Amino acid sequence: MIFEFFRWVQSTDFMTYIRESGITYPVIMATHLTCIAVFGGMIVITDLRLLGAALQDRPIADVVNGLRWWKRLGFCIMIAMGIMLAGSKATDYYHNPYFWTKMSLLALVAIHALIFRPGVYNQPEKLDASPVIPTRAKAAGVLSLVLWTAVVCAGRLIGYYEPPQQKGRIVAASK
Amino acid sequence: MLLIQSNAIADALNSSEWVFPIAECFHIAAFAWSIGLIALVDFRLIGIGMKRESASEIARATAPWTLLGLAVVLLSGPVLFLSDTRMYLGNPSFRFKMYALLIAIIFNYTIHRKVALSNSSPAGVQVLVGVVSLLLWVSVVFGGLFIAFA
Repeated sequence: MIFEFFRWVQSTDFMTYIRESGITYPVIMATHLTCIAVFGGMIVITDLRLLGAALQDRPIADVVNGLRWWKRLGFCIMIAMGIMLAGSKATDYYHNPYFWTKMSLLALVAIHALIFRPGVYNQPEKLDASPVIPTRAKAAGVLSLVLWTAVVCAGRLIGYYEPPQQKGRIVAASK
Repeated sequence: MLLIQSNAIADALNSSEWVFPIAECFHIAAFAWSIGLIALVDFRLIGIGMKRESASEIARATAPWTLLGLAVVLLSGPVLFLSDTRMYLGNPSFRFKMYALLIAIIFNYTIHRKVALSNSSPAGVQVLVGVVSLLLWVSVVFGGLFIAFA
């Protein structure tokens, strides 16, 4: 059933256009990468601040509150580009283990948010009021860095997977 | 000259099918790290993001981490390049990327650094420097991605 859905997504006019146009696909991919860098930088500075490794003399609340909406914007653009990249080649992605690895890691990112938003990201002022950075904040920072790095790596490896029946073809296309 | 020298290196790099993808993962994670941190300074120069901190505070705090990221980028990049020097040297996107990278790094450690740390530059100059920096680094990313499509 999931495969049927993927095949339908791929067959829509919009996804067909992206797949068949010469320039649109790489532009979307480059925009996806640019968002990863810009969004990634916001994640990195937040995590480094939570760990006490950067901007130690500035409140955690400044970093978290200052970047909150920009992170959300960057995330939305990044996801939109990602959906177009995956959607236009959905049936290939369905068979790609790295794609599912990346989706699983993103699910863990969502769980990370569910766990740490209430006690860390949604009340940074309380973290600042504490004499030392609470362990839950440091744990959130480390896990965030590890998870997002893993997401980036899994995302890149999607391009290296060769379906058994098509050995050679993908390598040629990725060079 | 490069082509001849690199044959042995290329053979070593191509001996395992995992060397290139792993080097590329380091390259991508590290460029996201370093360019993203530079972008935080750019956004602050433009006037968005962490507005309660000054551009110089953000530039100072991120500088060592940006340098760490750039070091990983600049170590992993040549590994990718040496695996197939002939392809890269003949690739117009690669050449574009190298020029953009050179300009971006020089700009980052001269004008960008000076303006970000000064706090007293006119607002127009700060915005201009932030925009130019963003454009330069986005050019590097696009140039890099288009190596695979050129």
